[in-house]
Parts: sequence; structure tokens; C-alpha cells
Amino acid sequence: MLEIARYEAERRLRGTVALAVGIGVLSLAFIGFFPSFADADIDELVEAYPPAMQEAFGIQTLGTIEGFLAVEIYQFMWLLLLGLYVAYAAANSVAEDVERDRMDLVLSLPVSRGRVVLETFAALAVPVLVLNAIVPVAVYGGVVAVGESISVQDLAMVHLLSIPYLLACTAIGLVLSVTVSRATVANRLAIAVVFVLFLIESITVGTDDYGWIGNGSPTHYYDPTEILVESTYDLTGAAILLIATAVLVLIARALFSRGDIGA
Amino acid sequence: METAHMGTIDVDGLTKDYGEVLGADDLTFTVEEGEIFGFLGPNGAGKTTTIRLLLGLLEPTDGTARVLGADVRDESELIEAKRRLGYLPADLGFDEKATGERVLEYFGSVQGDGRREELLELFTPPLEREIREYSSGNKQMLGLVQTFMHDPDLVIMDEPTSGLDPLKQERLLEFLRAERDRGTTIFFSSHVLSEVRRVCDRVGILREGRLVALEDVESLLDRGGKQVRLRLAEPEKEFGPIDGVAELETTGRSITFTYTGEYNALLSHLASYDVVDVEIDEPALETIFMHYYGDANEEVEARADAETVDDETREPSAEPTTEETDA
Repeated sequence: MLEIARYEAERRLRGTVALAVGIGVLSLAFIGFFPSFADADIDELVEAYPPAMQEAFGIQTLGTIEGFLAVEIYQFMWLLLLGLYVAYAAANSVAEDVERDRMDLVLSLPVSRGRVVLETFAALAVPVLVLNAIVPVAVYGGVVAVGESISVQDLAMVHLLSIPYLLACTAIGLVLSVTVSRATVANRLAIAVVFVLFLIESITVGTDDYGWIGNGSPTHYYDPTEILVESTYDLTGAAILLIATAVLVLIARALFSRGDIGA
Repeated sequence: METAHMGTIDVDGLTKDYGEVLGADDLTFTVEEGEIFGFLGPNGAGKTTTIRLLLGLLEPTDGTARVLGADVRDESELIEAKRRLGYLPADLGFDEKATGERVLEYFGSVQGDGRREELLELFTPPLEREIREYSSGNKQMLGLVQTFMHDPDLVIMDEPTSGLDPLKQERLLEFLRAERDRGTTIFFSSHVLSEVRRVCDRVGILREGRLVALEDVESLLDRGGKQVRLRLAEPEKEFGPIDGVAELETTGRSITFTYTGEYNALLSHLASYDVVDVEIDEPALETIFMHYYGDANEEVEARADAETVDDETREPSAEPTTEETDA
């Protein structure tokens, strides 16, 4: 068991390490920018953002290191960009293997189609875990280096609770990967879907009448600002994301188990 | 189990309807244990579709097939059968960024690799290099090692000689004969008649998804005849016909025809002419189609279909089968 997952994860290893280093360096650059940023008149800056933007990116306490990290790194880079990236990578996975004739070889081995989907998902989860192990260390080091301090527990939780969120985005991409036969179409669709879900949640979150629509978006169940600024952990949200992930992966498995490969 | 005779592959009314075309049209045939079965047809005839049906990659529209006793529509049965199956696809989808070594390790970890070292003495891809640097021949050799390294009982090969140089092709055909002799069943798909002729026991000919012939290689070739090209010293208006000559065409001093008779009769007939050059060649695949399986309308189609196949058909066969004589 797990030979496919191991191989697929290994294939992604170089990309994963590059991504971890990239995000780590970018985070450090952001944090290095913080001291001069904190000297400016933050309230005025916050006022300058339209209210919708303030809601979308949770811009509340940019003047504190927690608020700064939440907005600049976690709301934007982690929640939005990384969410899009993992969905994109997942959408590529099966569709590209089918397109490049790799799937024919794999399925000539004594393995079920369902196993291929499950192990592909397992391989896609590896970068999510690796990034969440490396980046918090870089962020913490950066915070200490600029003479600030941050709750280690909150930092750990903002990463831990991002795992269900990123896995849910991965699962969305995986479903598209087994549904859409062309990889380039699948990965663009995945980006569109995750981005639209993010927008829907951002737009509807402040409204009383339409707030429920945002419940369908993964971003509704993971709020880095809440974790870092208020030390509030939405464990129910995390559980919901994990259940949604499991359901989506099972759907992907069921879809891939029938029909023609690459027809 | 059924009381009926079971082959290693039993195809029964297998049909794949793509909507606009039938990729496989009511195919029925049996591949016996321990034989090399040639699956011959021009490109686009449905060979790969049939193979992908046998591997459970496509779902049949109608009919079914049994591979090593497993119904191709039953995934769990087929998975068990795949433990004893090797597959060499026409387009080898290896991960370009992996080394050959890593790919063999990966496939070995799933399917087993007991014969790996032995095979690597015969086929020698540069294992330490990444596959994107491989020539098509190296890729094909890696594929061959992967196909045989778990010592399968049945091997399905789609255009296995493609990309190999003539020496390696010869080595492969020799290897396949030896594999057959130790009991392996081989399903050999190809559009190259000459290699099918050299290695296969029986052959099925596929055309537009339909099986148009199923017979011993020898009788197939007898029916196909030889392609004879003559060049004479003097233009000859009337080349006297003898038994077994068909499709006679005369252009100045050049004469071509298909010959199905005895060699001696042909040679003594030729002795009465001043022959500058003579070539006796394998019949092209399309010639067999045209003469024996096509009606008048289909002939034109077959000729058009075969244009692209023609060069590849002739090239590998040119050396060993062409006899040139100065008379």
C-alpha cells in the first residue's frame, strides 16, 4: 500500500520545497517591513480601505504584529493564494496523468482506480503538511528578529487549522481533475471555483440576509484573523472542513471508478 | 466456471461505440495459452481501443472479454489478473522528470521485479538518467523491462518495436520467441506485417474496428503473395502472364505485379527476358486488405488509409526480405 502516494509525493517534492522556501522568504520580507509600517498612522490607512475590503481581508488591527500577520500573510498569502495553488495542483493531478498516458501504465498494474484517487489525494496532502511545518518556523523567527513577540500557540493554531481548509481546496481540485478530461481546463476551473467561493464569502459575510450563502465556502470555516488577534479557534469549522474534504474525495473516487479513462 | 474452452484472452462480441465511430465492432476471438498472437491493422483500425478495453481502461458498449479468466467489466477480478499481466503501451507515459531507475523501482514496488537484472542485460536503457533525456529507443527498452520484470503469464504489447533500431528489434523478436517457448502468452499489436510474420503464430487483422481475418501467419502470407518489381534491359510491351500474377502494371522497362505462385515457375519464366534488376518483397499490408478482404469501394479507402502506413511497413522489412538478383 501507499506506493503510488509515495511516488507521487516524491514527484512533487522539489516543487514543495521551492514553494516552502518562497513563502518563507516572502513572509520574512513582509515581517521585515512591519516596524516601519507600524510607525505610520495605521488607523488612517485602515480607514482608506473600502469597508468591503476591510471585511474581505479582516483588516482590523494592522498596527499589531498579530493583525499584520493575519492580513498580510495569512488572509492573503495563505488563505487565498495557497488555497488557489493547492486546488490548481490537485486539478492537474489525475487529469494530466490521463492526458499524458501515464494513467494507462499505472492502471495496468494490479491497483484499483479508487486506490489511485485516494493515494493521489494523500500525495497532494504532503505539500500542505510540509508547508505548515516549515513556514511557521520562518514566521516565528522573523517576528523575533524584528523585536516583536507572538503567542506560539496562536501561531501553531493558525497553521494547524489551515490544514483542513487547504485539504478542502485540494479536494475541490481533485473532483474537477477526475471530471474534466483536459488538465488545463480542470486547473483553471479549480482556480475559478475557489476564488469565487472566497469572493462569495467575503461579500456576503456582512449582510444579514445573505450571510448563509457564504456557508458554502471553505473560507467561512477558517479565519486567521480571529485566531491570531482574538485567540479564538473555530474547531467546529475545522471539523466541517474535514468532513467536506472526505465527502469530496469519496465523490472523486466514485467518479473515477466508472467510465472510460481518457475518452 | 464455464465448461467451454477458455483461452488466455477470450473476446466475445466486444464492442466500443464512440458515437460517431465504432472503435471495436463486435470482436470475437481467442488468444491461446503460450502463443504469440499478432493483432494487425493500419493505424486507426481500433487496435489500441481493443487493448484498452482488455485492460479495463474503457468500458465496453456491448459484449465482453476475459483476460486470464477475469471479466474485463469486473474491476476486482481484473486486478487479480493484472498481477500476471505485463503491458507495453504504444505511447509510454513515463514521468519525464524521473530517472529510469526510479521508475523501475516504483513499478517494481507495486507489481514485483524478480527478473529485472536479467532483463537489464538484454535491454539497456541508461537507468541513471532522467527519462526526458531518453531517445525513443531507450524509452522503449525501459518499457520492455517494466513489462516483463514481474515475469507475467500474459503480455500485451502495442507496437513494441517502434523506436527500436533494427538490431534491437531483432533482439526483441528473438526474446519474444524465447518467452513464448517458456510458456508466456503474447498479444502483439502491430501495423508492420514483416515483424508479425517473423514472430507470430496466428494473426487477427483489424480494420475499422472489425476483425476481417483470423488465421495462421503462413496461410495469410500465401494468400497475400509477393510483390515483384522487375526492370528489363529493353522496354517490353507484352510481359507474358503466368499463373499467380495479378495487378500487373507495365511502365516502360519497369514491371510490377503481385505473385502468388511457385518461385521456380516465376524464375524460369523470367529467364526468357533480359532482366536488369528484380526485387521480390513482402506484400504491403494494404495489398492484403485490397485483394482479400475489401470490396471495390473499400479498396480506395484502404489505399488512402495505407498511405501513411506504407513507409513504416516497408522500411524494417526491406533488408531481410528483399532479394536482389542480377540476371
